Amino acid sequence: MPIQNLNIRRECNVYPASNYAKPKMKVVEKVNQKSTSGIEIKIENLSKSFGDINVLENLNLAIKPGSFVAIVGRSGCGKSTLLRLISGLDQADVGTIYYDGSQHNAINGDARFMFQEARLLPWQSVINNVRLGLNKAEFPKALNALKQVGLESRADVWPSVLSGGQRQRVALARSLVHEPRLLLLDEPLGALDALTRIEMQNLIERLWRELGFTAILVTHDIFEAVALADRVILLNEGKIDLDLDINIARPRQRSDMELNRLGEEILQRILTTPVTS
Amino acid sequence: MSKRSQNYLSWVKNASGWLLPILLVAFWDVAARNGWITSKILPAPLDIVHAAINLSLSGDMLQNILISTKRAGGGLLIGGSIGLTLGLLNGIFRPADRYLDTTIQMIRNVPHLALIPLVIIWFGIGEEGKVFLVALGVFFPIYANTYHGIKMADPQLLEMGRVYDLNPWQLFTQIIFPSALPSILVGLRYALGFMWLTLIVAETIATTSGIGYMAMNAREFMQTDVVVLAILIYALLGKLADTAANLLELRLLQWHPNFRHG
Repeated sequence: MPIQNLNIRRECNVYPASNYAKPKMKVVEKVNQKSTSGIEIKIENLSKSFGDINVLENLNLAIKPGSFVAIVGRSGCGKSTLLRLISGLDQADVGTIYYDGSQHNAINGDARFMFQEARLLPWQSVINNVRLGLNKAEFPKALNALKQVGLESRADVWPSVLSGGQRQRVALARSLVHEPRLLLLDEPLGALDALTRIEMQNLIERLWRELGFTAILVTHDIFEAVALADRVILLNEGKIDLDLDINIARPRQRSDMELNRLGEEILQRILTTPVTS
Repeated sequence: MSKRSQNYLSWVKNASGWLLPILLVAFWDVAARNGWITSKILPAPLDIVHAAINLSLSGDMLQNILISTKRAGGGLLIGGSIGLTLGLLNGIFRPADRYLDTTIQMIRNVPHLALIPLVIIWFGIGEEGKVFLVALGVFFPIYANTYHGIKMADPQLLEMGRVYDLNPWQLFTQIIFPSALPSILVGLRYALGFMWLTLIVAETIATTSGIGYMAMNAREFMQTDVVVLAILIYALLGKLADTAANLLELRLLQWHPNFRHG
């Protein structure tokens, strides 16, 4: 099948990010053009190993401000490690990460991280969880954030009475209340049932389009990646194996032929790549 | 089945636990009245009630309860706050843990009641000795459970705290301390048990006031009714303390699914 509206770059990622010529894409139409508020990320020669295992090897990557990038790959391919390094939660052995051109070392208020688990404080009400890290003057923002995720009616309950999807929505509200310019999502929908997943995907996409932050999503689910992202990066054994632009207009239909074809394409690529370690 | 008979059934179920104690007390009363048990061994239940009334009227009983409660409370406050502080310190700061924990664990293995002769030499039979023993008794359960609670704080939540730029104080108040609280409260309940136990022994051996003294004094005059009364007062105070701790748990751990009522 001919590949037309996507660019496949199979590379051994040895050239520096500055030479990284990413073809212009102009398909994504934003609800409001606030994409300038997203952070531009550049990663140079990133390596990380745990003991003898090289999790990431000399990785280079540039991410446009306000774009939505999905990172996929087999378990253990280094995708979560990459996300943690980008956030500053962990430190790389070698290499540099730039936020808007300046070196980034430790996590700060510009970036927010959503984990696979909601990680809500069980001893605080929902609204107080969203208020975490805010000062008193900013408290009204918390309720707004809860409204954005449609949970303002549950503001005063304990997290333990919420469903898994609701907890992740609270975690999303907690992230967004700080108006992050970069949202890092480490399989936040992995533990949810199929229907809740779709609702959450729609919610994340909508908020991303409204707020204009840069989003990086690590996921196992290829079709989730294709449905949400502008660009899908396939990692294999710590290297970029595939880098695809997804030029499908939004809002996207889950039944879209092209979308499913792309998903299948990536899936086949993963399945046919031999596992050496 | 009608609702009424269901209610009746559930009432019977709830009350059934009380059947045996009531029968035992009734048998005890009959046995004492008929002289099967002499009052020197065990007084009749009604005699104990009499003793309670007489001692209440004279004010002796209240006086002694007050003194014992003060000793218990003082010891709990001192030993508990030292235990809590050291537990937090060693749980949070690794260097403190390295220097202090071994020593504390060694001292823990000395049964504190074995210190009574030494404590009498140190403090005489005054208040300090008893408060000291109670403090020592409550220290370890509170220390150990606080330490354990801090160590059990969820690393995932701590990492989340880092993402949200919490400073060390916020990390402590928002994440570490609330995580440790269920464990600390378990420590408190154990400590309350140790508190009364220590006090009973200490008051029985060396004292001139308090419930234990009341019991030992009565023994000299073979007033078994007062002795049994003292035992019952201890039981009641112990139960009260435990209920208070329970209420505290319900209040502070409302968020915890295991403690939610209704």
